[in-house]
Amino acid sequence: MNLLLRIADILSILGHYPSFILAYIIETLIVIIFAVVVIAGMVFFFRKYMARVQMRLGPNRVGKGGVLQVMADGLKLIQKESILPEGRDDLAYKIAPILIFFGLIMGFIFIPYGPLAWFGYLTVSHSDVSLIIIFALLAIMPIGEVLSGISSNNKYAVLGALRGVAKDISFEVPMMLSILAVVMMASVKVSDPLNINGVVVAQSIPFAILEPLGFFIFLISMAARASYSPFDMGESDSELVTGNTTEYSGLRFGLFYLGLFGTIFLGSMLISTIYLGGYYGPFTNYLGFIWLLIKTLVLVVISLTIWLSMPRVRIDKFVNFGWKYLLPLSFINLIITGIIIFGGIA
Amino acid sequence: MAYEVKEEKSKDGRKVMRIERDHLLELLKDMKNDGFDSLSLLTCVDYRDRIEVVYHLTNSKTEEMLVVKSETRDSRMPSVTSLYESANWDEREQYDMMGVVFEGHPNLKRILLPEGWVGHPLRKDYDLSKVQYVNMDDEGNDYVSFDPGDGW
Amino acid sequence: MLENDTSKERYIELNMGPQHPSTHGVLRLKLLLDGETVKKVEPVIGYLHRNAEKICELDFYCDALIYFDRMDYVGAMNMEVGYLEAAEKLLNIEPPERVLWIRTIMAELNRIASHLVWAGAFGLDLGMLTPFFYVFEQREKVLDLFTEICGSRQETNYMSIGGVYQDFNDKIIYKIKEFTKHFPKTLEEVYNLFVKNDVFISRTKNIGILEPEVALDYGVTGPMLRASGVPYDVRKAEPYLVYDKLNFDIPISKRKDVLARFIVRFEEMRQSVKIINQAIDKIPDGPYFNPKAKKSLMVRLRGEGDVYARTESTKGEFGVYMVGDGSVKPYRVHVRSPSFKNLSVLPYLSRDVLIADMVAISGSIDLVFGEVDR
Repeated sequence: MNLLLRIADILSILGHYPSFILAYIIETLIVIIFAVVVIAGMVFFFRKYMARVQMRLGPNRVGKGGVLQVMADGLKLIQKESILPEGRDDLAYKIAPILIFFGLIMGFIFIPYGPLAWFGYLTVSHSDVSLIIIFALLAIMPIGEVLSGISSNNKYAVLGALRGVAKDISFEVPMMLSILAVVMMASVKVSDPLNINGVVVAQSIPFAILEPLGFFIFLISMAARASYSPFDMGESDSELVTGNTTEYSGLRFGLFYLGLFGTIFLGSMLISTIYLGGYYGPFTNYLGFIWLLIKTLVLVVISLTIWLSMPRVRIDKFVNFGWKYLLPLSFINLIITGIIIFGGIA
Repeated sequence: MAYEVKEEKSKDGRKVMRIERDHLLELLKDMKNDGFDSLSLLTCVDYRDRIEVVYHLTNSKTEEMLVVKSETRDSRMPSVTSLYESANWDEREQYDMMGVVFEGHPNLKRILLPEGWVGHPLRKDYDLSKVQYVNMDDEGNDYVSFDPGDGW
Repeated sequence: MLENDTSKERYIELNMGPQHPSTHGVLRLKLLLDGETVKKVEPVIGYLHRNAEKICELDFYCDALIYFDRMDYVGAMNMEVGYLEAAEKLLNIEPPERVLWIRTIMAELNRIASHLVWAGAFGLDLGMLTPFFYVFEQREKVLDLFTEICGSRQETNYMSIGGVYQDFNDKIIYKIKEFTKHFPKTLEEVYNLFVKNDVFISRTKNIGILEPEVALDYGVTGPMLRASGVPYDVRKAEPYLVYDKLNFDIPISKRKDVLARFIVRFEEMRQSVKIINQAIDKIPDGPYFNPKAKKSLMVRLRGEGDVYARTESTKGEFGVYMVGDGSVKPYRVHVRSPSFKNLSVLPYLSRDVLIADMVAISGSIDLVFGEVDR
């Protein structure tokens, strides 16, 4: 039983097809709301956590302990005037934040959330190639970055976008190669290794243990994708003001901001799904979703701690690192995986 | 030595060398060869009829300090940028504040005040009651006007 | 060179500042970029120019002090010491022995505060957010001491000609001792937070190398010069206050790069703690101002001749050249500001480096714009 069927079951008076279509829409909405709430919660948690690390209090005025601060900030961003720069490429300028947010939210839809008590499996979309889809969706986000950079008629934004692209292409190839190794490993056990749910099912032993090298590469790639410090050369606020988002304000800026935190969360979720066994844990059939959340949150805390303690890596050094170390390492990882599979160890 | 130096002591006991403007560069060159490798301070004092230019040189090895004084009556001095790179900004500053033209300076323009400022503030005859407003034109360059409403 | 380059289209002209997160106030840099590489830097200064030198000429000797507070506003005590060294020589006023010791302690406390601010801001330049708060906590403790002693935090206006505004009492001496007891431990923590981070090392090592000959040629002083390996410190070269009675070392580094400037500044803070510890034990009893310069007589002080007093402020050699014509107002005051001279070397250091390195280099200079522009 899964959540989709449960909803369709409730709506069955409408007839077979309408109830399924409506159930799909409702579940998608649930996931989108979940994503937004989680991101907002993460922003609040991040601010409190950062304050704790830096011996400050953090938000503490709005609501009890400042819990409503994020909401207040969101309202502020929505009602703020969006200042549009002169000489912009209007369509590209306006579509860029939407693209980023779209890619992010769509990413959430394909994550296998696992079962939760009475609700059953929470996964929204079932596809045999969901692993490919999810990385294709993640690859939309850099397009948004580039568009925002070149369309806002600002030299800082252009430089930020250029840095962003240079950074993206230097880790994306090793990242996909490490995913390839995961698919190879999963194909031994399941018939649908390109399905992200199949990858989870194949992990009776988490892939992080079988492929520590791939895990390491993927961890770095996800950190670089979310572009927090030490990988925030794209927006590097002390050099390029805020890089590609320099000219954005109001709600559009809010979307970029959500995109940043959402990517951290989505990245942590992907890491725990692909390498740490996803929703697997004791009592998987009842608490699967909880296990996924716990794994994700631990990774989120680790990410935030790295963010708060690291200076920015210089862009040329990161590009060097990507092409000279991560790429060969990912090939080595591929070879090791092949040896393990053909040796029949896994 | 081809030039004449008057030696005296300043109030705080430093060795002062007075030199004619024409021989200043020769003296400083010799002093640099003697080990005074850093021009610590370059300043001008306006005595209305003349402007005294004061150079403080430091020897980084022996940590001595030497004062060289020269004066000009027509607001012209030879530039010492060929000897000390630090004179570059110092001379620009003195040009800006005192209006002393340092001949041979590679880039003699105002440094603290915007281009187009009227007068040199540290001159004793500078009119303090005259208010000048700085604005920025469309190209991003500063300009000075006397109209308080300009640019608003 | 570049002006005559016909292929100028390939360069990006970028205007950094005066409102920019990493320009430490109102520095404006005109950059010529080839992609990420900085081809040419032209600093534009003067956005905080108030012409303090002219204001000094218009006021009594005792009034000019507050303008010096506002020059290097993170190291105000050192500015006051610099001004008073010149003014007291010109006016022939000897401060009592106890005052010299008090001034030394205050100057060194302020040196610690100033270097801490620098370390925090430098971390921010490199994208390191957290150490900023750690160092500001410690700096706030120093400023609390200042508030206790002289009633204000930054622009203290504590010293006056021939003395200080208020005497040290036992409580303050106890508090300073408490501070110097606990501070070194935190200092080491912050130091390790920086230097044990490989990314920080990779961002600072071999970046912005300043050869000693070039540094001297450009008139660079202070920690910048000592990081290039020249052991020149006015506190040793021409001791003022009571520095000749204290035992301390001048840290130098042969590395010459940004990392060296970082290490030298932290070592200076350790030396400052050492100086304060010695001075607080040796501080003699006595009056805290010279009766010749008491409040009612202060505006009648007259001076003649010219003096140049140099002191080691937190940024470098801070010199005050003062000419008196026998009246109650100074005839000419010239301030040799170390940041101004240190900034002039930035175009030299930032040729053909990346933007990120240029930010690191300009951060390592320790600019305070109240002082550059005066």
